[in-house]
Amino acid sequence: MQDYHEFLSEILIDEETLQNRIEELGQEISRDYVDEDLLLICILRGGLVFMVDLMRYITLPHGIDCMAISSYGTGARSATGNVRVALDLQTNIEGKSVLLVEDIVDSGHTIAHVIEMLNTRNPKSLRVCALLDKEERREVVVPIHYRGFSIPNKFVFGYGLDIDEYYRNLPFVAVVDLNKFQANG
Amino acid sequence: MQEYREFIDEIFVDEVSLQKRVAELGAQISRDYAGDELLVVCLLRGGLTFTADLTRNLTIPHELDVMSLSSYGTGHYASSGNVRVNLDLKVNIEGINVLLVEDIVDSGRTLTHVLQMLKTRDPKSLKVCVLLDKKERREVPVDCDYVGFDVPDKYIFGYGIDIDEHYRHLPFIATADLSKYRRSE
Repeated sequence: MQDYHEFLSEILIDEETLQNRIEELGQEISRDYVDEDLLLICILRGGLVFMVDLMRYITLPHGIDCMAISSYGTGARSATGNVRVALDLQTNIEGKSVLLVEDIVDSGHTIAHVIEMLNTRNPKSLRVCALLDKEERREVVVPIHYRGFSIPNKFVFGYGLDIDEYYRNLPFVAVVDLNKFQANG
Repeated sequence: MQEYREFIDEIFVDEVSLQKRVAELGAQISRDYAGDELLVVCLLRGGLTFTADLTRNLTIPHELDVMSLSSYGTGHYASSGNVRVNLDLKVNIEGINVLLVEDIVDSGRTLTHVLQMLKTRDPKSLKVCVLLDKKERREVPVDCDYVGFDVPDKYIFGYGIDIDEHYRHLPFIATADLSKYRRSE
């Protein structure tokens, strides 16, 4: 894999800004869900890093669970079309206050499908917490209750988001210069 | 859920010691795999927190994948019996260096089954990085290549490890005083 310094265009959100904002989100969630039976759901794999940091800023007792989603079309998640549940929840969410934790919302199709599906299981509430909101790309309405940052329509990586499956581990969100990025064969 | 301060016995590994050790492991793994391809595999859900922090301490490019396992026995990860794959890897590991990341090893049975299964796919190498090693409970020999801490045979929670699905978010590892713990309904 190419060293990311070679194709990094700019650091969009640095580590300190990210962590400060996630701490604020954690505090807000902690206030909003007092005495609720809160369950955080991580949408794999992009949401993993964000959820791990977010939950450490939540001071209330809560559970966590994971879902893996893929699409019936080509590619990991096509922009439209139904979603396939590759890994479903272990937890029965009926009566629980559910918070879906996503790294990024762009077209909104995937998350909209997940919300529809989970609502059929009668949670007490179902909200979305998205670290990054690429609003310019939105094709369906998705209510985002907790938003980390609104970002422009650029190819971003780091902090859970991959470029060809690499660099999810970077502690910041960066923009790719696609002219300098060499895709692996 | 009962407040954890009511049933905590002691903080076994505090946040500073944990993060320091995770950084050391990250540095060691970065040296050992320098110049090589590496796939980090997180075993859900216990390994989430450790994986997120460990990979941030890796200075080499690497891929990340997740696996979810359960046992055919009753309860979660029953200590004997075969392992069922709930979510398999996306990545084909043939010819790749694989590092399994797990929160805790006790009997070693689950890990042994996973290692056997993954070896049939002919990875270039297959190693294990475990945060906590509860050696007293070992029933089958497992070589852990990277170990964070040896722990005594006590009930442990925090930093990815749950007590009745709660308190995975705590940034430290604690032992529970089960005589003070009240199981919720």
